[in-house]
This record gives sequence, structure tokens and C-alpha cells, in this order.
Amino acid sequence: MGLPLDGRKFELYTIRDESTDASYGAYPADRSIEQRMDFGFILLDKPSGIRSKTAAATAKKILAPLGANKIGYSGTLED
Amino acid sequence: MPLAVNNATKALAELLVGGKEYVALMHLHKTFDRNELAKTLSEFTGKITQLPPVRSNVKRQYREREVYYMDILEIEGNDVLFKVGVESGTYIRKLISDMGEKLGIGAHMMELRRTKVSTLSETEGLVTLQDIDDAVYFYKNNDSRLLKKTLRSIEEALSFMPKVFVSDEAVDTVCHGSPVAVPGIVKMNSFEKNDRVFISTLKGELIALGNAVMTPTEIMHAKGGIAIKNDSVVMKPGVYPSYHRAN
Repeated sequence: MGLPLDGRKFELYTIRDESTDASYGAYPADRSIEQRMDFGFILLDKPSGIRSKTAAATAKKILAPLGANKIGYSGTLED
Repeated sequence: MPLAVNNATKALAELLVGGKEYVALMHLHKTFDRNELAKTLSEFTGKITQLPPVRSNVKRQYREREVYYMDILEIEGNDVLFKVGVESGTYIRKLISDMGEKLGIGAHMMELRRTKVSTLSETEGLVTLQDIDDAVYFYKNNDSRLLKKTLRSIEEALSFMPKVFVSDEAVDTVCHGSPVAVPGIVKMNSFEKNDRVFISTLKGELIALGNAVMTPTEIMHAKGGIAIKNDSVVMKPGVYPSYHRAN
């Protein structure tokens, strides 16, 4: 019993062996805080009394000094 | 509640496809028979039609949604605590009042808590606004450990999507909005035509999201052509170098 995408597994097909140059980009786990901002994701425990919009705006205010220009959220509780 | 920062906000829509899970508290207006309740729950599992509530942001017309499962957790008097997995856009308050009507005694929703969005369980790695504030405070005092834990990657949230991995040389053109061509693909997962695909660097970074134009088998046998048409670009141009073709 679960949601449709739970435990989805994939095959991996390799066309050719190729390496990546470490001087460009970064492995997601090795990103600096600055790099994290552009790929950032937070699972927020929203306080029940406030609107999703307000919670997202508060998170943005907290993270703005570190370079968060925009924070979006997905879904309100009942939809 | 899933939050995304800066360019990662472009990937938020992908989280809607996987459905949601809630724990809801239903209050029935009269005493009821447990077997009748179980029967009603199973009748409302599967495809259902719902009229969105008066106070909603969508057009009020009947629409079909899927209820994947319902599971009773606890019954106390006229209150029923249950877990429900649904397709995005299913109104739980409405589902409860419709079930109450079906039972002939009426019911309404007392409490609702979302426990899963797509494949993300809201019981793991959940942070509060206070946690974010604390993490920023520690970061300003030269300790980034808490912030690194709080600010996760969008790639982690999209782990349920099939990926195509492109060569370093192909990254920047995709960042500029070009579709993914066959020669740029190094490896890929299995997917079907028209499936949503995560376009990745060889380091696993999200470049863009798009729809598969070819199947993996077609990609492996083709000499060229467009394999994935992207519509939302997340990575900014310039992270990887741009290569100009000689011809």
C-alpha cells in the first residue's frame, strides 16, 4: 500500500564511459552554501496556525541574507 | 510543506505528480456500525468524483480524482483517525463529508495533517522555521553543519524521476534552453516516450526537466536527433564551460 511513485526503481543504460571535470559544478552533497541556494530544497514543518504563503515568506526573510531571492512552496494542505 | 529556493522553484511542479498522504480526523455525527464504515471507506477508494468546495481556487465542477488507499488508525466514540493516500487535487474535507453523507449520518473533518508529498515523507528531515533561523545563526558564526542539513538539494526531492546524464560539453547548451540531443547522452535510466525526465550532469546535478521524445532503445540506436525536450531549466548558464562547434 503506497502512493504511485513509492519505491520506483530504474534500470541504468550506459552508452559510453565518460568522466566529468571536477573543476565545473559540484556533486550535490559537496556544494557550498552559496551553491546550495540555487538548488535548495527544504521540507518545512509549517506551524498549523499560519498560511503556507506566510511561512514561505518568513523562510525567505531568514535566508535572504545568504542569497535566497526567491522561495516557492508546493501545495496547500487541502488541495 | 516542500519549499524550494531560487531556481529550484522551477522544479516544484514535479512534486505534484506523485500524490499525497494525509492523516485525518473524521467526526461522525451519530453512532455508526464499524462494518458499514469499512465498507464506505472501500467504496471511496479508487476513482471518485468530487465537487470542489465553495471556498476553493478552482472552478466548481465535478472532477475525477483517485484515492489510492484508506486505512483506519484509531476509532474513539464518533471520531475516526485514518490515513489516506490520494492523487494531487483531492479535497480531504470533501471526501469526509461525502462519506458521512453516504453513511447517512453526516461527518466532518476535525484535523488534517499531511504526512507525504510525492515520495517525500514528512516524518523524515522535517525542519521548523526556528530550525532555519538557528542554522543561519550558526552559519554566521562559522558553523555551516546545521545549515547544510537544513538546506537539502532539489535533486534529493526528485529522486523518483528517471534521469538522463549528459556529458560536460552538453551541459551549458541545455542551460541555455536547447533540447538534449542524442550525442550528448552518456547514460540514462529506463523511461517511456513522453515521460517526465530529470536531465542530469555526470555529477548528478539537476540541469533541467523535460519530456522524453525518444525511448532509451531509440536513443541507443540513433546517430543524432532530439532525445529530450526540456521545458524548465534549473541550472544557470556558465556553471559548465560553453563549447563552440567548429562547423
